[in-house]
Amino acid sequence: MGVLSKLTGGTRYAYITARVRGMKRRLLPKEMYPKLLNMEIPEITRLIEETEYKKDVDELARDYSGTDLVEHALSRNLAMTYRKLLDISTNEPHYLITEYLRQWDIWNIKTVLRGKYYGAVPEEILKSVVSAGQLRYRDITEIAKLESVDGVIAALSHTPYYPVLREYRGGMLSHVENELDKLYYARLLESLGDSEGEKLFLRFLRIEIDIKNIKNLFRLKRAGAERDAIMDTLIPGGFELGMDELVRLAAMSYQEFSKSIEGHSYWQAISSFVKDDMGSLRDVEVGLESYSMNYASRISHYYPLSILPVMEYMLSKKIEVDNLRIIVRGKATSLSMDIIKRHLVM
Amino acid sequence: MAMDPFAAGMLAVGAGLAVGLAGLGAGLGEQAIGAAAVGAMAEDEKFFGKGLLMTVIPESIAIFGLVVALILLFLFNK
Repeated sequence: MGVLSKLTGGTRYAYITARVRGMKRRLLPKEMYPKLLNMEIPEITRLIEETEYKKDVDELARDYSGTDLVEHALSRNLAMTYRKLLDISTNEPHYLITEYLRQWDIWNIKTVLRGKYYGAVPEEILKSVVSAGQLRYRDITEIAKLESVDGVIAALSHTPYYPVLREYRGGMLSHVENELDKLYYARLLESLGDSEGEKLFLRFLRIEIDIKNIKNLFRLKRAGAERDAIMDTLIPGGFELGMDELVRLAAMSYQEFSKSIEGHSYWQAISSFVKDDMGSLRDVEVGLESYSMNYASRISHYYPLSILPVMEYMLSKKIEVDNLRIIVRGKATSLSMDIIKRHLVM
Repeated sequence: MAMDPFAAGMLAVGAGLAVGLAGLGAGLGEQAIGAAAVGAMAEDEKFFGKGLLMTVIPESIAIFGLVVALILLFLFNK
């Protein structure tokens, strides 16, 4: 049995990786972004209607128009794409994709909580919801209609995130949000076994944790946050930045921190942007996201029959949707082309 | 001269193993290619021809097995 399963090991990923490669070919090419930057919103809507987003734009065109239509179509397409991955996978890949997509449950819970905290109307909240996790769009819609943050938390009492949510005692949501992120990664890391597929998934995940931690460290160091406040946001389980290293980095000044990060492989992606007097952190964040995408692309070539091509596709799709959203929002608020371009991950 | 019945039997077993094991090997090779070809075709129908070609390539191993079996049965079994 062991020999047979070794001989047939690659087969369970052959189907899903072939499909993902087919889907990847339909992502927008990089050359498309400069063209989109020169267009107005109706032209962008028409152009994306000729791509994968056609069905979503057509179906939502009855209820929305302009920027709202594009935003809803992008969120819906992203959710449908992720759901398709769940539908076409079985066994180990299905399990890993399901667990990974729980990040959208966290995203949706955070979106609803923030919306309620700031008194946004349900329609406004639902614009940012991506129902790719285990919580269905219908459930999120119902939750978004509730009156208060406490009501939302009570409605989520059946979810695995309730132990964190019930600790909320009013006031700012940042602590709950940080704890939700930590819970998501802790659950994910705990649920992984020893199979080859799970080990590769773990590696991808730990790099993702490192990148999130570096982003948080940069943001909070620049804002002059205290060590304890910084530690509250950091997620354990990173690849290069273990807990000891994070504790050390959190205690440093901004200058010491940016010097110290030079020793890590992420530095090559951000070295040209990190300066003592940099105005915005966006270049650093874009650099880190590009690093993450390039890394995923590189390792998915090393292990073509594994979960990694699927992860790479999920990441690339999310980046495409984010880029389109940035372009549309940027155009809607009349930002200059250069500013929009700086925010795009390519 | 008639062949020793034991040797003739062993030749038949050998021929059977040649076809059987070659078929098993081809099957193992084809399973991942077949799954990938179906996956690629599901995304793009134009991949049908290429997918079919890729899937049958390991069949050559089964044909080698068949040739070895025929040689055993017809050339040596005299």
